[in-house]
Amino acid sequence: MLRYIIRRILWSVVLLVICSAVVFAIFYIFPTADPAKLRAGRAASAEQIELIRESLGLDDPKHEQFLRYLGGVFTPYKNEEKGVDGPFDLGTSFFQNNTPVSEIIFDRLPATVFLVSGAVVIWLAIAIPVGIISAVRQRSLLDRATMITTLAFISAPVFWLGLVALYLFAQDVGQFPIFPGIGSYNDAETFTGKVGSLILPWLVLAAATAAIYARYLRSQLIDVMSEDYIRTARAKGLSERRVIWRHGVRSAITPIVTLLGLDVAVLLAGNAILTESVFNIPGVGKETVTAIGQSDLPLIQGIVLFGAFFIVIFNLIVDILYAYLDPRVRYQ
Amino acid sequence: MRLKWLRLLVPVGALLALVFVLSSCGGDDGGGDGAATTGVPEEFAPVTAAPDGATEGGELTVLAAGDIDYMDPGAAYYTFSYMVMQATHRTLLSWDPDDVEEPTPDLAEGEPQISEDGLTIEFTIRDGVRFSPPVDREVTAADVEYAIERSTLPGVANQYVATYASAIVGYDAAANQAADDPTGGAPDIEGVSAPDDRTLRIELAAPPKVAIARVIAQMLSLPVSAPVPEEYAKEFDAKNPSTYGQYVAFTGPYMVENDSETGELTGYTPGKEIKLVRNPNSDGDATGDFRPAYLESIEIQEGFTDTASAARKILSGDGQVNGDFPPTPAVQKEASQEAEAEQFQLPNFPGYRHIALDTQAPPFDDINVRKAVIANSDREALRNTRGGPLLGPVATHYISPGFPGFEESGGLEGFGLDYLANPNGDPELAADYMRKAGFESGKCEGAECEITMVGDNIAPGKDTAEVFKGQLEDLGFKVTFRPVDHAIMYTRFCSVPEQQPEVCPNVGWVPDFRDPQAMLDVPFYGPTIDPENNSNWPQLDVPEVNKAIEEARLVEDEAERAEAWAEVDRLVSEQAPAVPWIWEHYPLVQSTDVAGVVNLYNASWDLAYTSLK
Repeated sequence: MLRYIIRRILWSVVLLVICSAVVFAIFYIFPTADPAKLRAGRAASAEQIELIRESLGLDDPKHEQFLRYLGGVFTPYKNEEKGVDGPFDLGTSFFQNNTPVSEIIFDRLPATVFLVSGAVVIWLAIAIPVGIISAVRQRSLLDRATMITTLAFISAPVFWLGLVALYLFAQDVGQFPIFPGIGSYNDAETFTGKVGSLILPWLVLAAATAAIYARYLRSQLIDVMSEDYIRTARAKGLSERRVIWRHGVRSAITPIVTLLGLDVAVLLAGNAILTESVFNIPGVGKETVTAIGQSDLPLIQGIVLFGAFFIVIFNLIVDILYAYLDPRVRYQ
Repeated sequence: MRLKWLRLLVPVGALLALVFVLSSCGGDDGGGDGAATTGVPEEFAPVTAAPDGATEGGELTVLAAGDIDYMDPGAAYYTFSYMVMQATHRTLLSWDPDDVEEPTPDLAEGEPQISEDGLTIEFTIRDGVRFSPPVDREVTAADVEYAIERSTLPGVANQYVATYASAIVGYDAAANQAADDPTGGAPDIEGVSAPDDRTLRIELAAPPKVAIARVIAQMLSLPVSAPVPEEYAKEFDAKNPSTYGQYVAFTGPYMVENDSETGELTGYTPGKEIKLVRNPNSDGDATGDFRPAYLESIEIQEGFTDTASAARKILSGDGQVNGDFPPTPAVQKEASQEAEAEQFQLPNFPGYRHIALDTQAPPFDDINVRKAVIANSDREALRNTRGGPLLGPVATHYISPGFPGFEESGGLEGFGLDYLANPNGDPELAADYMRKAGFESGKCEGAECEITMVGDNIAPGKDTAEVFKGQLEDLGFKVTFRPVDHAIMYTRFCSVPEQQPEVCPNVGWVPDFRDPQAMLDVPFYGPTIDPENNSNWPQLDVPEVNKAIEEARLVEDEAERAEAWAEVDRLVSEQAPAVPWIWEHYPLVQSTDVAGVVNLYNASWDLAYTSLK
């Protein structure tokens, strides 16, 4: 097992370097806009653009730029003239006061982690019981009602759901002012204040995912409950509760863990864009929107690499968890 | 010239540029924007003076969609940035809320002294102005000299000084030196000196031109002339990019909250918030600061990209104003009909939006085709894509309302050119012009009528482009519309002549300061066509226009200068290089308990004059 973990970690590092190369190629070899022009601004003269290009080393050979970039990200490489200060140097934002990209991302990360972790708790707390109940009471009225409801939530776009939630329940612009409104996360100074400000965003972010997980778990569990080993467990005289939980759910939930790992990684990487934008939560997703809107290449590049890091790491975690959750899975 | 990225009105966008609102104030209450000449409805005229007995204290919240571009005054260039700069820095000259003629001396004791030969400009710096903690010392002329010199550093990346300053002795050499050694400190500019603590001298290269000296003096009303203490800043300027923006020293009535030991700005998190507090070293009146600074603190909250919700939050909330975004058209309509008096204001917005036609390539190298396109354009329909009549009058030429030369250009009516006469378009006239261009059917036919248009990929710019595409198709053109990101539209297409499409529907121009030269020179002067970062989008290069511009630049008398630039405006309009379609107003909203004061210079709330009721 230890060898497997070490091997996976090494592969993860290789994957990240490959991701860096791809990201570098996208933004510096085939960019949609000239980084020097973006940095220089619209009113800059051709001479100024050249000065910027030269001072940032954008006229150096691509392989030199890539090595400098890799050095800045992964090693303590420093080059004051070219503005590289590794490790973890993802460059500086073109539009946010020359702030280092890593600083911007780490500043935004807590809000995203808070948003995602709360939403995960909510969607699992809803999806698991709903999925199980629907599976064990297949075709009952309750099953049909929950499946229709989940379908409705899956169909509702997050931004629409967010806006509806705000116009119904937000204290600033809502018809029934119950929950803190737009921008309240920034206003809140205490932990409980932040929790209060995130109730609506948690519910909105969790809604569609909870619905998907509930339906997925239901279908998995229905399949599992018709397996031979479940019949054997029943034949052994185990209680139905024990059969469902120990033998049914444990097996059916394994694919859910894979989904969860990827979903959390993707959300932490900035995919809570819509929820963060609608509620003005200063997270990584919101920053992604801003960066794309401004063509802030270093920031987009940093967020993409950062997202790749999360996905690689969570994949690793999921693979390791598999070994514990599913006895059929064996790693050599 | 100050070019605006006209992206402020884009939801994501936070990019308004510098504006000048020039109409005179009409009433005793400080309101009034000269509705007759600017098209601003009287009831929404901006308030430009604080009420008598304005309340002191309290905190104002500014809601913003995006962020300022830079906190470093040497780099800041967005209108939203200027809103913050005006409250936190003292520049040599500055703009009082109702300054519509000239900037007011601020850090300078009086007007710049321009020598008769036009070769020297001198400013006298006020006594007693002090930097905020941790610098805590009096400002000298050397601090302004350093501020100008550091603007040459690639790591500071100032966007406008080079445009004006090449006439300063030694400027180009200093810029080259900075390029060769970007982390070696700010180079000395031979023609900028501080012979003593109170005197800043700027020497210009021969041949002498008083008009050029005046333009440079006006440039020093921009944030680049905010003093920067060299002994404190050089450590930050030795990095590329400079990190001074994270440690700025302030001289205005407010400052960004900072660590008083290190100077690090603790009150600024890019993209999230800016917390302004009183500058303890600001002595207000005692040092000639004309800004009353009623508020105790100001919090700028950023990230409100759902601007409709944000505007409604302001209108129904307490102590709030909008920062970098205009309310959506629907909210503007609601506010104009339902909000209390002064909650909704419409300062005028110098500059224009136009649709550039590439005059260097077929089919628009034929002036009659261009005239046909303009004649056929329903400019009211174009205006509706951004909010309709409330947003401003349909443009009939280029110098915008209230600007010197506007009245001389025929005011709102323009020059009476037939193809610009009907704001709803005149298909018959368009057909006539097409026939003059050799298209007997009155419609464009043939391979050259298959054209490309590159515009914004999101509303409202995309809507404008789509509407214009329909108008071109009505005239027979086969249009391929390529929607792209706004920045890419400029940097890859419309500003790169080699890649330029036949039509750029989402361009616009806003001048740096109040001089008609700033309105017309770069966008229509042939020699300014730049292969890399071109702002003469129609690529107009007509000897007659170029000559008129060269002559107008040198006219010194203000009235004659306005006439000369109006003549340039006429010549440009007669060349039909673009479809000018709106002179915009900029909608501002505030909560009922805010006594907001609008600074006409940049058409935004003046934080140093605004108070709570």
